[in-house]
Amino acid sequence: MLRNHFKIAWRNLVKNKGLSIINIIGLALGMAVVILIGLWINDEVTYNQNHENYDRIAHVLLNRTANGETRTRTPIPFPLGEEIRKKYGDSFDYVVMSSFHGDNILSIDNKSLSMYGGFMEPDALRMLSLKMMYGDWGGLKKPNSVVISQSTAKAFFDDINPIGKFIKVNNLLNVVVTGVYQDIPFNARFHGLEFIAPWELYVTSHDWVRYARDNNLWDNNSYQLFVQIADGTDMTLVNAKIKDAIYNNLPDYSRSHPELVLHPMKDWHLRSNWKNGVNIGGFIQYVWLFGVIGLFVLLLACINFMNLSTAQSEKRAKEVGVLKSIGSSKRQLINQFLSESFLVVVLAFILAVNLVFLAIPAFNQLADKQIIFPYKNMLFWLINVGFILVTSIIAGSYPAFYLSSFRPVKVLKGTFKAGKMAMTFRKTLVIVQFTVSVILVIGTIVVKKQIDHSKNRPIGYEKNRLVMIEKVTEDYEGKYNTLRSELLNSGAIAEMSESSSPLTDVWSSGGGFEWEGKDPNFLTNIVTVCVSHDYGNTVGWDLVEGRDFSRTFSTDSTAFILNEAAVKYMGIKNPIGKTIRWNNQEHQVIGVVKNILAESPFEPVKQAVYMIKYNNTNWIELKLNPYKSANESLAAVKTVFNKYIPNVPFEYQFVGDAFAKKFVAEERIRKLSTVFTFFAIFISCLGLFGLTSFIVEQRTKEIGIRKVVGASVFTLWKLLSKDFIMLIALAIIIAVPLAYYGATHWLNNYEYRTEISWKVFAISGIGAVAMTLLTVSLQAIKIARANPIKSLKIE
Amino acid sequence: MIKIKDLEKYYKTEELQTIALNKLSFEVKQGEFIAVMGPSGCGKSTLLNILGMLDDSDGGSFIFNGEEVINYNERKRASIRKHNIGFVFQSFNLIDQLTVFENVELPLIYTGVKKAERKKKVEAVLEKMQIMHRRKHFPQQLSGGQQQRVAVARAVVNDPKLILADEPTGNLDSSNGNEVMELLTELNDQGTTIIMVTHSEHDAKYSHRIIRMLDGQKVTENSLV
Ligand SMILES: Nc1ncnc2c1ncn2[C@@H]1O[C@H](COP(=O)(O)OP(=O)(O)OP(=O)(O)O)[C@@H](O)[C@H]1O
Ligand SMILES: [Mg+2]
Repeated sequence: MLRNHFKIAWRNLVKNKGLSIINIIGLALGMAVVILIGLWINDEVTYNQNHENYDRIAHVLLNRTANGETRTRTPIPFPLGEEIRKKYGDSFDYVVMSSFHGDNILSIDNKSLSMYGGFMEPDALRMLSLKMMYGDWGGLKKPNSVVISQSTAKAFFDDINPIGKFIKVNNLLNVVVTGVYQDIPFNARFHGLEFIAPWELYVTSHDWVRYARDNNLWDNNSYQLFVQIADGTDMTLVNAKIKDAIYNNLPDYSRSHPELVLHPMKDWHLRSNWKNGVNIGGFIQYVWLFGVIGLFVLLLACINFMNLSTAQSEKRAKEVGVLKSIGSSKRQLINQFLSESFLVVVLAFILAVNLVFLAIPAFNQLADKQIIFPYKNMLFWLINVGFILVTSIIAGSYPAFYLSSFRPVKVLKGTFKAGKMAMTFRKTLVIVQFTVSVILVIGTIVVKKQIDHSKNRPIGYEKNRLVMIEKVTEDYEGKYNTLRSELLNSGAIAEMSESSSPLTDVWSSGGGFEWEGKDPNFLTNIVTVCVSHDYGNTVGWDLVEGRDFSRTFSTDSTAFILNEAAVKYMGIKNPIGKTIRWNNQEHQVIGVVKNILAESPFEPVKQAVYMIKYNNTNWIELKLNPYKSANESLAAVKTVFNKYIPNVPFEYQFVGDAFAKKFVAEERIRKLSTVFTFFAIFISCLGLFGLTSFIVEQRTKEIGIRKVVGASVFTLWKLLSKDFIMLIALAIIIAVPLAYYGATHWLNNYEYRTEISWKVFAISGIGAVAMTLLTVSLQAIKIARANPIKSLKIE
Repeated sequence: MIKIKDLEKYYKTEELQTIALNKLSFEVKQGEFIAVMGPSGCGKSTLLNILGMLDDSDGGSFIFNGEEVINYNERKRASIRKHNIGFVFQSFNLIDQLTVFENVELPLIYTGVKKAERKKKVEAVLEKMQIMHRRKHFPQQLSGGQQQRVAVARAVVNDPKLILADEPTGNLDSSNGNEVMELLTELNDQGTTIIMVTHSEHDAKYSHRIIRMLDGQKVTENSLV
């Protein structure tokens, strides 16, 4: 029986080649998109799962309240680790203090490389369950040790066992390699961690850290803390226990009320946004969004299948009549049609799997992933079998039940006509398809507009030909003037400066500012940037009032330059010449600059003060000579740096590139949604094309008659297109408010956001109508031009 | 009104070429009623389609109302057709989705007649064909004879100068057939030229002149008046 079903199914497929191909391609594309999105989602939700104790590890964050607003930040004070170990040790397996990770210089005799890493307490290895290739999890116990990743080991020592070899960290500390761990996978927070050195070494080698330890500094937040809670404990309960660990030691801070929050590892990647001290999700919204899009794309493809199958129903009616009259039961008929849809789905699936296989490299690039096609994964195939069954049932059920319920007598007498219901159903499906497509189009346009809007925002400095270099080691100390004059002499640069924070980030901010007219209860928090005299000229900031720092005024060593946001924040009228007290010192405001966009391009710029300070800078900025090629200048710069700082490999980045990275996430969303939207439109058009060919075929005779009695090609084209245009118009009417709602919701994520103009909807609507006309016209014009005699002969 | 000379038409299929019309020539005067007869496959329908400008010929000359139309493009032919020619087919060819009234109204819409005027004209012609009471029905709800009367009504609603009828009684019983023939005669009496293809000697007797064909050629021509 089953074989018979498939035999008939196969013949039907072959008989209606055109429609079958449309069906299979459409469905295959839909499935391919769903599989890709599925793999993507899987990758997103399995972030950090390479760590065995993934569900018990947490990052300890700090909530602090100022002026009614709570902010959640990573840095915590030095004594916190020890405090937690001592007072709450029962609740934790491991408590691991850590420095912030960043680029450091590692070197052996003849080789010096910039490596990303940090300093952590010894339990880090065990907590992160790193897979040790050499050595063991005890590797960080001795202070003069270092544990390196497989690729670091390879870079320095090739394939030989590096245990016991010496490495110099930041040209300062000599350490011994005590372990090598396998590289941490791509979809993990610690991916790219190239070495871990002992926390103890960090403390002894950095004066300010040692100072923090020796003086038990509870109010200096410069470190990170990771913990693994004990087996059988509950994250929320543990969190409640430790939340006042800082506050208890800083009773004076009742107003900012520091409170600890455990951020579980499983939330690090997808739920990393905080508002008023509470986690409000994050990237998870895109996981949901793309999940929904994936389902919709599949639904669109299934709709095509249903639509085309019911469209064929009138042709199939006779077959059903015959089958029924020779005693086929309704059940057998349903099975027959389900077999047909199953066959189509299986063929489509085979095509889809091949498409996915081919598309994965491109997709990985687009989505910045390293997804591997999981052909060895049984679960993947098992899910797919389920997927095939579900899809064939969704796609095949309507045709199956619809067709099998035909009344044989009516059908055989030829009086059968597909009812209004069937047509309405078919039209509804087309409306759903286009509604989804239009929503996707509008969404994609809005994402693009938001990115463009933020990209075109004034940044307050001139990023063209601006290069920045991080001063990773002590080697740069005291060389500012030498470097600057050498570089200027070489003609490679127009100006050079130094600063405490990079142009594209904020590294420090603090409170304790006092000025005339300040509400004494107002807790200040202002970004502080220490710069050299030449900063303004180098970065090209925009003075709106007053003057820039100058070497001719010795008093400038305590002067402040404010950004416009700071002026507004402080509420000072005529700020020039006013005095601000900070750290028990008077500072005179000498200038006001336009806001420099350092942090998120989607948020307002924070209030900032700039001051002169040469011994607290971490970055060098270079404005390359505008009359020379950048390559030429950089080569010259490199020569100078190699001469004066021979022990640090010369590494630089263009500020423009660093700035562009701020849009990476949004750009990726835009690219992905563009691709998926394209597929959705394509699948919808495919469906429309199939439906048009069916309707045109059905109306061939009618069109012939109309032509004979005098209809022109144009009249006929209008007649055929009109119905579809009505459907699309309806789809647009449904889509617009939904899309508006969704887009507004999404834009609310951003404080600096674009307006949704009516043009977006107009463009999407016109686009949808144009696509429809194109698809429909292809066939409408063909049939309208055809010789009417031929169509009349069919009778 | 119509003058054809050496009209030729071939049908090429994969393996063979059929000569449907082979240097056919004749003339039809204004107001004539012509019957075209001949065995199946001799080219009668082909001839009618060419005369109705629904199809191209492959050679010869076709003068319609003093104009050589053989090289006219689709658009021009469509324009001549909709103003001058009405068709009646053996299989009625009514549009199932439209009512009797709407079917008959169609040619008027395509020639751009105003709505009020259309109503008047359609009702007049339905009255004449005696199917006014059925104007809201759909074709499937009518008998064959009634359907053909609707088809005739549609063919004449635009007051064409020429009616081309391809076996108009072929699907009808004799009494319904006679009714349709009476209708055509009446139209002819009012001045409409009629060219009718038929297999029935009985029907042919209604005409003025019978053209007999064989293998795409005219064999005889005999006048009945
Ligand atoms: N589209 C076509 N393709 C190929 N051959 C055709 C086509 N139409 C007609 N013919 C051939 O041309 C010849 C004339 O056909 P036509 O339909 O004019 O015959 P007829 O005289 O109307 O016949 P009948 O009395 O059966 O209606 C026939 O041999 C037919 O097979
Ligand atoms: Mg014929």
